[in-house]
Amino acid sequence: MADAELKQKVEELIAANPVLLFMKGTPEMPRCGFSMRVVQALDAMDVEYGAIDVLPALQPLREVTAEISDWQTFPQLYVNGELLGGADIVEEMFDSGELAEALGVEQPEAAPPPAAAAGPAQAPPLQIE
Amino acid sequence: MIEAALPGAAVEVVDETGGGDHLRATVTAAQFEGLSRIDQHRLVKAAVKARFDDGAIHALSVKTAVPGS
Repeated sequence: MADAELKQKVEELIAANPVLLFMKGTPEMPRCGFSMRVVQALDAMDVEYGAIDVLPALQPLREVTAEISDWQTFPQLYVNGELLGGADIVEEMFDSGELAEALGVEQPEAAPPPAAAAGPAQAPPLQIE
Repeated sequence: MIEAALPGAAVEVVDETGGGDHLRATVTAAQFEGLSRIDQHRLVKAAVKARFDDGAIHALSVKTAVPGS
């Protein structure tokens, strides 16, 4: 059973952020290659997004997202309340133009830049007891 | 494990680091027909969940396709 309070917090975050990324580390300092790839794709899209570092509560968050989305690995990108997927799916969608469509932006011409572009809106850190 | 869960699927698994824990799986299966990408990935990940749970797999990259696409 996932922690009920944490699950509610996560659901609130998903509802409050049109684009929300659960990742390992932060957009300024990703701590995993997959998370970094999603950050690069989002930065190339030049959209505002919330980012949650899952590392402080990795296992509890796995349990929560397993219940919410039947998905336990990170990164996870939620757009308008729906899980799009992890790094592989986000990259495929980036290449096909589906990501731009889901985000409501124009497809960028170039491949994602290596360094982070516009800073994303940082969601307040999760308070984990 | 993927082949057991998805009989008839064409599965290719590559060890990305040589350590056996960072894998890339390319799976082509008729069972994916009509499923969204994320549902296709869920099927593959469910098939190898035991290896994630016991820590044998640390990271899995998944690429899915439907035969003939």
